Amino acid sequence: MIKVLFFATIRDYTREKETVAEGSGTVGDLLLELSDRYGGEFRDEAFDGDTISDRVIVLVNGRHIAHTGGGETRLSEGDTVAVFPIIGGG
Amino acid sequence: MDKFGKVLRVNLTTGTIGIESLCEKTMKEFIGGRGYATKVLYDEVPAGTDPLSPQNKLIFANGPLTGKGAPSAGRYMVVTKSPLTGCIASSNSGGFWGAELARAGWFMVILEGKAPKPTYLWINDDKVELRNADAVWGKDSHASTDALLDDVGDSKAKVTCIGPAGERLSKLAAIMNDKNRAAGRSGVGAVMGSKNLKAVVVKGSARPYVENQDEMKAVLAGAMEKLKTNPVTSQGLPTYGTAVLVNIINQLGGYPKNNWQGAYFPEADTQSGETLAKDFLTKRYSCFGCPIGCGRVTRVGDREGEGPEYETIFAFGVCCGVERLEPIIEANYLCNEYGLDTISAGVTIAAAMELYEKGFIRKEELEGGPELRFGNEEAITYWTKKMGLVEGLGRKLAEGSYRLCEMYGHPEFSMTVKKQEMPAYDGRAIQGIGLNYATSNRGGCHVRGYTISPEVLGLPEKLDPVDISTKPTWVMIFQNLTAAIDASGMCLFTSFALGADDYAAFLKAATGLDFDGAAVLQAGDRIWNIERMFNLREGLDPTNADTLPDRLLKEPIPDGPSKGMVSRLPEMLPEYYKARGWDVKGLPTDTKLRELALK
Ligand code: SF4
Repeated sequence: MIKVLFFATIRDYTREKETVAEGSGTVGDLLLELSDRYGGEFRDEAFDGDTISDRVIVLVNGRHIAHTGGGETRLSEGDTVAVFPIIGGG
Repeated sequence: MDKFGKVLRVNLTTGTIGIESLCEKTMKEFIGGRGYATKVLYDEVPAGTDPLSPQNKLIFANGPLTGKGAPSAGRYMVVTKSPLTGCIASSNSGGFWGAELARAGWFMVILEGKAPKPTYLWINDDKVELRNADAVWGKDSHASTDALLDDVGDSKAKVTCIGPAGERLSKLAAIMNDKNRAAGRSGVGAVMGSKNLKAVVVKGSARPYVENQDEMKAVLAGAMEKLKTNPVTSQGLPTYGTAVLVNIINQLGGYPKNNWQGAYFPEADTQSGETLAKDFLTKRYSCFGCPIGCGRVTRVGDREGEGPEYETIFAFGVCCGVERLEPIIEANYLCNEYGLDTISAGVTIAAAMELYEKGFIRKEELEGGPELRFGNEEAITYWTKKMGLVEGLGRKLAEGSYRLCEMYGHPEFSMTVKKQEMPAYDGRAIQGIGLNYATSNRGGCHVRGYTISPEVLGLPEKLDPVDISTKPTWVMIFQNLTAAIDASGMCLFTSFALGADDYAAFLKAATGLDFDGAAVLQAGDRIWNIERMFNLREGLDPTNADTLPDRLLKEPIPDGPSKGMVSRLPEMLPEYYKARGWDVKGLPTDTKLRELALK
């Protein structure tokens, strides 16, 4: 199983802080599975067409997917995926 | 140049008050604020000056945009020689005080000497007088502000002042304006205390001069559009404040726990911006003219106050092993009242906890106070009070983490750079920010070159936090741009949406001087280099000063997503020196100094 964590405004769409998913494929597959589960608002935030949008930051075990293969990043049993909106601070 | 505000020079020893004009050439080269004031300090305060002696100078400086029509442009800088680091101190603050100083017709206030007794400076437009502050000496920043407003008989005046920590010369003392906004870092409050200066109260009635109003309006329209459509400045910061970072930095494994003995805190969500917004936030706070409004007004029990920022949550929370927000918020309120820098105060308590747990601080020294153990909520508020009052063991804590750990023979537990406590990102997990800490002119600091933006948040580009190949250049560019923004009077947080060209356009409209993006970045480079020259003249030795605590260089992160990592600073530093045009020892070359007209 994959542990999925949601943060900040992403929680407005999922109405929960975390979940588990099958997600035996790629990050892209996982986000599609989650879009089915949470509906249009989540999907609109997570995707631009078929590509993962720039409005979300996705970490797999703490690594931004931009540095691990983007949506094609493969997931393994026991991975933790964290989904954030674009945020900033100081 | 007087239309842009004048320079007020006050000798506190003699009570002499002088008025000077701004220099156009200096404004073009150093912009204002952090830049202009550092140039003055460099020219006027000789090497080797004791920071707490009358010979040190304390400069409050606006930027050319402070109090004008640009967004989030209410900021001023406090520049002096730091008693904490012995290096340049330049602390930035928002709120409303800087804008009021501009309305009163002043660009900069230079304070010299030492008043014979507690004194405050009252600036009422062009009427300036030194007044007796006996009645407020000893009072906290909130009570002092109320009493001083009564004393001048104008509730709309603005106050910047010190609390007991500054009066008692704590090296962690901040200068507090508008009660809760802080020029926080590097012990600037102690310099003010050493001069017997309790406060500067200001009231202005003029509209600050803008050279080209139509141009200003056009630039403003474009910038506002960018700020309104940028997700960070339009949603993230207003909704959650800076504390929105708690979860992402923790998920990445860069959230320094128990005095950097770890970098991952499973309980982080309990102290996140999300929890803060849900359980404690009563309203947002905006500084002068700011459309972002990242400030937090919070309530805990029957106390209402401001904060905490992300940094404060880290310092009193994870760094001290404390989980819940209530005691963290309480500690934040205490820092605002006593006038303490929250980052340095929290990180110093964390160092004390390590010293205590490892048996170096003895139980008797606590004099019945709560045990300095990681996770002890009571300890963070109790010892903040003692530190603010500089009494008991708090006397040692008030010296900061470096001197505290040295007193006990274990400087290796001090998580400082150039004796200043490091902020809330672990330089082992995020390589660029570690390089920025190591090279920061004011010691451990994130807002000299905030590479968290590209390394974690992916703005403006997504850089891999563990990769080091391009970090030296990125750190340098961020440091230069930040120096220029700090000099302009605008808030650094606007840079999530704006770039060098935007700041240049504002500066050009406000001053009529020929600024463009390249000139702004070059001014930032010049400011960085004159700060470096100030530090070198004070005897800074780059070999042991441009570094990180051994813990970050040699002790791998023990657990969490960044397990096993250490900082690769030794590989990055030579490249950074090269990118800066410095020699292999980290000294600016003649060519570089001539290029910047610093020689
Ligand atoms: S962004 Fe925050 S800190 Fe900056 S000026 Fe606005 S309210 Fe103040």
